[in-house]
Amino acid sequence: MDSTIRSETAKLTAATAGFVLAAAIAVLFNTALACAKDAYAPLKDFMKSLSGHDWTTQGLVDLLLFVGLGFIFTITRVAEKINANHLIGVLVGAVGVAGLGLALWYAFF
Amino acid sequence: MPLNISSSDVILLAHATFGVTGCMAALWVFVETLNARPANTGRIRTAALVAAVCMAAAWICGGYWYVHFYPAEKAWILKGPWPFAHNVFMETKEHLFFITAILAFLLPVATCEKLSSNPAARKLVLCIAGLIAITGLAVEGAGAVIDHGVKIALLHDVLKGAQ
Repeated sequence: MDSTIRSETAKLTAATAGFVLAAAIAVLFNTALACAKDAYAPLKDFMKSLSGHDWTTQGLVDLLLFVGLGFIFTITRVAEKINANHLIGVLVGAVGVAGLGLALWYAFF
Repeated sequence: MPLNISSSDVILLAHATFGVTGCMAALWVFVETLNARPANTGRIRTAALVAAVCMAAAWICGGYWYVHFYPAEKAWILKGPWPFAHNVFMETKEHLFFITAILAFLLPVATCEKLSSNPAARKLVLCIAGLIAITGLAVEGAGAVIDHGVKIALLHDVLKGAQ
């Protein structure tokens, strides 16, 4: 085995792992919130009252959740303990479920 | 010949342009990461930053246009022959875009890893960049359907008026 291969690592830093987990949670939350406000008009009205438009509020909440959780997971080093490949799987799975969930929700409900 | 271009047109086209540029920057990251080595680390990080900045600009332009100019087009779509251009495609697009944007903001963080010596980080960056390209192009495609929904609603109205 040459030295290049031996020096390779398969771990993510606390910041990367933290923000990956935060992104996975934020994209799932985004789909859940989109479906919830579509199904429950008072929630949509409340979100509209916060910024003038429910879509604007949703974007800001998503962004705050992603950044906030990202910093929390980085500081607490929670996500760093998760295997890197599992974390990648969680992100890809979350994006797949969230994206497909949105398309199916608006196509059939 | 005088140009009749409104601010609405400029903002809408800027939105689509930034979106496509962001997708292309993500593809650039993908290709560079396949051959990640110390020499191209700078290019990978620059491209990741370009993807994030373009998606932020697409968000701002698209958001402003959606809130201020889209309601009139939405009304046309809903009374035209393709109401699903709004009910399915716009509703999905406007929320799917948040996923693309979050991934684009994650990309510069992930590219801070030492990609040339970390296979897990390379795999992560390839996945994020690939997902940005896929979801971004889906959003672009939905935009084309919405645009066509407005067009055929207007054509339908013109043809009805002519009869």
